[in-house]
Amino acid sequence: MNAKWLKFAIANTMRNRRRSLVTVTIAALGTAAILLAGGFALFTYESLAEAQARESGHLVIGKPEQFVKDEETPLQYGLDDVAKLRAQLLTDPQVRSVLPRVDFSGLVSNGDKSVVMIGLGVEPDSEFSVKGPFLTITEGEVLGNGGSGAKGPEIMLGDALARNLKAKPGSSLTLLASTTEGSLNAMDVTVKAVFSTGVPEIDKRLIYTDIATSQKLLNTQKVSSLGVFLSRMEHTDGAQARLAAATPKLTVRTWQDQAVFYRAVKDLYNRIFGALGLIIGIIVVFVVTNAMSMAIIERTREIGTLRAMGTLPRQLLRTLSLEGMVLGGVGAIVGMLVALAVSIFLYTANIQMPPPPGRSVGYPLYVNIDAALYIGTALVMVALTMLASAFVARKTVHMPVVDALAHT
Amino acid sequence: MSAVADSPVVELRGVHKTYRLGTHVIPALQGVDLTVQRGELLALTGPSGSGKSTILNLSGLIDTPDSGDIVLGGQRVNDLTEEARTLLRRDALGFVFQSFNLVPVMTVAENVDYPLFIAGVDAAERKARVAAQLEAVGLQDHAHHRPDALSGGQRQRVAIARALVKRPRLVIADEPTASLDSHTADQVLDLMRERCHAEGAAFVIATHDSRLTGRCDRVVALLDGRLQ
Ligand SMILES: Nc1ncnc2c1ncn2[C@@H]1O[C@H](COP(=O)(O)OP(=O)(O)O)[C@@H](O)[C@H]1O
Ligand SMILES: [Mg+2]
Repeated sequence: MNAKWLKFAIANTMRNRRRSLVTVTIAALGTAAILLAGGFALFTYESLAEAQARESGHLVIGKPEQFVKDEETPLQYGLDDVAKLRAQLLTDPQVRSVLPRVDFSGLVSNGDKSVVMIGLGVEPDSEFSVKGPFLTITEGEVLGNGGSGAKGPEIMLGDALARNLKAKPGSSLTLLASTTEGSLNAMDVTVKAVFSTGVPEIDKRLIYTDIATSQKLLNTQKVSSLGVFLSRMEHTDGAQARLAAATPKLTVRTWQDQAVFYRAVKDLYNRIFGALGLIIGIIVVFVVTNAMSMAIIERTREIGTLRAMGTLPRQLLRTLSLEGMVLGGVGAIVGMLVALAVSIFLYTANIQMPPPPGRSVGYPLYVNIDAALYIGTALVMVALTMLASAFVARKTVHMPVVDALAHT
Repeated sequence: MSAVADSPVVELRGVHKTYRLGTHVIPALQGVDLTVQRGELLALTGPSGSGKSTILNLSGLIDTPDSGDIVLGGQRVNDLTEEARTLLRRDALGFVFQSFNLVPVMTVAENVDYPLFIAGVDAAERKARVAAQLEAVGLQDHAHHRPDALSGGQRQRVAIARALVKRPRLVIADEPTASLDSHTADQVLDLMRERCHAEGAAFVIATHDSRLTGRCDRVVALLDGRLQ
């Protein structure tokens, strides 16, 4: 029964091929635009999420105050006895590694001038193997764990900072910082490498050193927090619950809690692309509605004939909404194919986007192919075109049969 | 059962119908009493504007009277809901139009099949009945053609087959030959007469062509909304 109505609907879309072609084309372009914009947004969210998780760890563990209060002295809210805590965390099967970090600040001097710096004490060997290549080393060699080797303590510094201090690998610099007791401590260090994070503001201030050096500078055994790296992104929420239960006195935050930039971008993109999708949806519905109302007006007498022969208004509504569905559905399918082709092309073409504001490096333009996005968009498209067709048909199928038959 | 079988196919009793065009009042029917017997071929004649189409629309349940009764197969149908009237049309009434009104995207066979399809008749029976009707109007070889490949006379034959395939009690034909040349019109009317008597369905044909009325079982003349 239904197949026959569908056949009738398809045949009717072929009556005015040019009009149907235009309608399908616009529905296809609209669908493709939504899928490409949505896929680009998803790619961006994913990249930012990965960058954030790589930078902070999927989970960050610290004293509760660490995340809400400002320290009065360095490492006031730092973690003691980190070795035991690390061992405990590593027993969780989804935890791949646990990286300590010491946040500090102070001055770095070349003897002639001193510059404000932000310091990060890390375990270089695990840090750089776990996180992968998140820095570009422009000169020298990456830090190793034996940081306090023959040449004494070593650091890496951002390229803008290095330029400012006229430092290059092998140069000697002095770090100055307040210790946990509040006295001032100085330490001579050797430059091992110069790096770029791609964010000039950060490259102007940031230095990396090993945990031992940073602790010695601050005269402490504590670390600021632990970054927990999981085997998969999707494990984040489950692992957070488990680790929070295992460490009741500490706070376990997810990368998302840390990711101010990620949340801001996602919020903005959701609004921009949401509005875009809405506008495109309205245009597509409008175009389909317009095509269907023309088709229905042209066929008023035929509809009157079918009504006279005993067709119920709801049967006509069904076949006319099927007709709208054919237009919207074919448009959605073509649009999906176009979006798919463009996405695949972008994966292979490797087109670089210019650096975003505040960054010095661009990024590759990829568009994610997301099954849920494709299916959801197609379903919404089909549902909207069906409803719009039924809406424009309702007056004609209910008009008095005599009037419909008299229509010229 | 027998009440339906014995009663006239359709009766109009004291029917009035008035149209209003702005402030203009057009009395289309002014007290019409008309009875159509089972299986008869009734011609309704009269000049243009005399009310023929109005009578057919009321008898065909696609319009309602201002006053008076319409009785179809013994059942008063004035107060039926639109859905009930639609189902009555589907099951008991056939229509033949002046300009054929075939569905252009359907083949000849699909056009004839349509009334059975919407009535939910099963596929095997539909196929047999469609084939029989097409054969009866001599178009079995055109079953898979589209209407636009047919001549006017052939199209009206398809329309006759489509009207009769549901085995209606009454076929309404408003100026069925007005779009045809006189030779073809004669043939189509002969076919209607033959099919009317073969199927036992009553035909009410509105026409202002007096040449055709001689072939009908009974002729009723109309003037200014009144039977003569
Ligand atoms: N929908 C309508 N609106 C206004 N006047 C109408 C309408 N239909 C018919 N009439 C008028 O009613 C009268 C009878 O019309 P009709 O039954 O169509 O006559 P016929 O079929 O004999 O030509 C005519 O005067 C016609 O103008
Ligand atoms: Mg008329």
